[in-house]
Amino acid sequence: MMTKLYAIYGLAVLTTLTMGVYRGWSLTSVDEVKNVPQSVRDNPGSYRSAYSGYRHYTGGK
Amino acid sequence: MSASIPPLPPQAPARTPQTGAPPVRTVFCQNCGGSVKINFVGRTVNVVCGSCGSILDAADPNVRVLQGAQDAIGKDTPVIPLGTRGKWRGQLYEAIGYQKRSITVEGQIYSWAEYVLFNPYRGYRYLTEYDGHWNDATPVTGLPELLGTRAVYLGRSHKHFQTATAVTRFVLGEFPWQVRVGDRAGVKDYVSPPYVLSQESVEGEITWTLGEYVLGSDVWRAFNLPGKAPAPVGVYLNQPSPSGASWKEVWLAFVMLVMAVGIVFFLDEALAGKDKVVDTTYRYTGPAASGDSSFVTPVFELKGRTSDVEIRTETDASNQWIFLNYALINNDTGQAYDLGREVSYYSGYDSDGSWSEGSKNDSALVPSVPSGRYYLRVEPEGDASLGPIRYTVIVSRDVPPWSLFLAAFGLLLVPPILMSWRTFSFERRRWAESDHPMVKTSSDDDD
Repeated sequence: MMTKLYAIYGLAVLTTLTMGVYRGWSLTSVDEVKNVPQSVRDNPGSYRSAYSGYRHYTGGK
Repeated sequence: MSASIPPLPPQAPARTPQTGAPPVRTVFCQNCGGSVKINFVGRTVNVVCGSCGSILDAADPNVRVLQGAQDAIGKDTPVIPLGTRGKWRGQLYEAIGYQKRSITVEGQIYSWAEYVLFNPYRGYRYLTEYDGHWNDATPVTGLPELLGTRAVYLGRSHKHFQTATAVTRFVLGEFPWQVRVGDRAGVKDYVSPPYVLSQESVEGEITWTLGEYVLGSDVWRAFNLPGKAPAPVGVYLNQPSPSGASWKEVWLAFVMLVMAVGIVFFLDEALAGKDKVVDTTYRYTGPAASGDSSFVTPVFELKGRTSDVEIRTETDASNQWIFLNYALINNDTGQAYDLGREVSYYSGYDSDGSWSEGSKNDSALVPSVPSGRYYLRVEPEGDASLGPIRYTVIVSRDVPPWSLFLAAFGLLLVPPILMSWRTFSFERRRWAESDHPMVKTSSDDDD
């Protein structure tokens, strides 16, 4: 019974993996922004990245 | 503790089928005068007076008293009332005898109940009960082979569990053997769940019985007992593990599934496009005079089905860092995928020797990007005082997602580990009560 349940679970994982590989899924996510104006190509500075102003680690040991 | 049953001495009647119902005889207790019914004349060796608990010689015409009254009479009540009939293993049996036995281990007394079941055509069998755990026991017909700490019977190996001395504390009903309160028997139990093979020795005579773990609910159903069977307490010596032997099968299934994941991985490695659409090196020297360092790449085409896009950054950072705001923007729809990546690498020497921290390279995956014409907006940030950094931006289409494979491996691994842990915990609890605990305690060491 447990083996059957595990086999079903394993096949579900395998199917999801195969679909994810085919569709290009990833565990990481990125911010999606819609309707970025065409003008950004000519004026890249007009685009405000969500990551602008990120405080950077400037360490080392 | 032992779930074993008393030995059947030579004078015990043979279990050959006989025809017709056995004769019934009513006698009077020589101790208290109470009437005692002997249901199976010719088979019953001892019968216990239900009034005073005296043990009587059923074979004696005068039913002489073999042992005096028992204090526990009326206090210790069998849960299967004697005289109850039930269909057990497809055959009609009657509960005719009941005894309470115990062993003492490290000052702790463990008591269990034994019921004698009788069918005139099938003979005797026994039900034992300890803390809600039931066993169906029958005398074995062959001699088990002893191999070290194992006993092999009918090709099945049973592992030694415990050696103890069982003492009879209370008896009631009819018995096909000589029985006395205070009887002592050396008991050795060998287990192979759901079976327990028990060896009993009394005055040099050895008998074996084979018990099989049964559910209390089955006993209740068979003998039509009122209420519900009490829930078992703890883990019994031959109680089947909840996961049974299936944990081994689950590990086998795990291996097969991991092999299938491997096949998917190699197929993906072989078939993935990995089309490099951007591969350009830049140099960061500090913020532009305008304060804006951002720029865009030429438009490139992402072809094929919806799949991932890898943005890889390779630098020559040395005790430096660079932060890159990336935006992968669809030139036609305005859909953008925004991400920020920091690349930093530090190294040096100290009293412990050389050290390094971080990495000169970085890789990020943008999931599920439809085909189309795109460009990449790049906005680098860094500390110009640390010197210029060269960095190469590589954009590739349809790259094998390692993280998915690792996640799949992890998801497949969790159930077998949990099941193995559950099995191990169950077995540890089982063997904790034995002469061979899996985890030795300080008291075991003291022994």
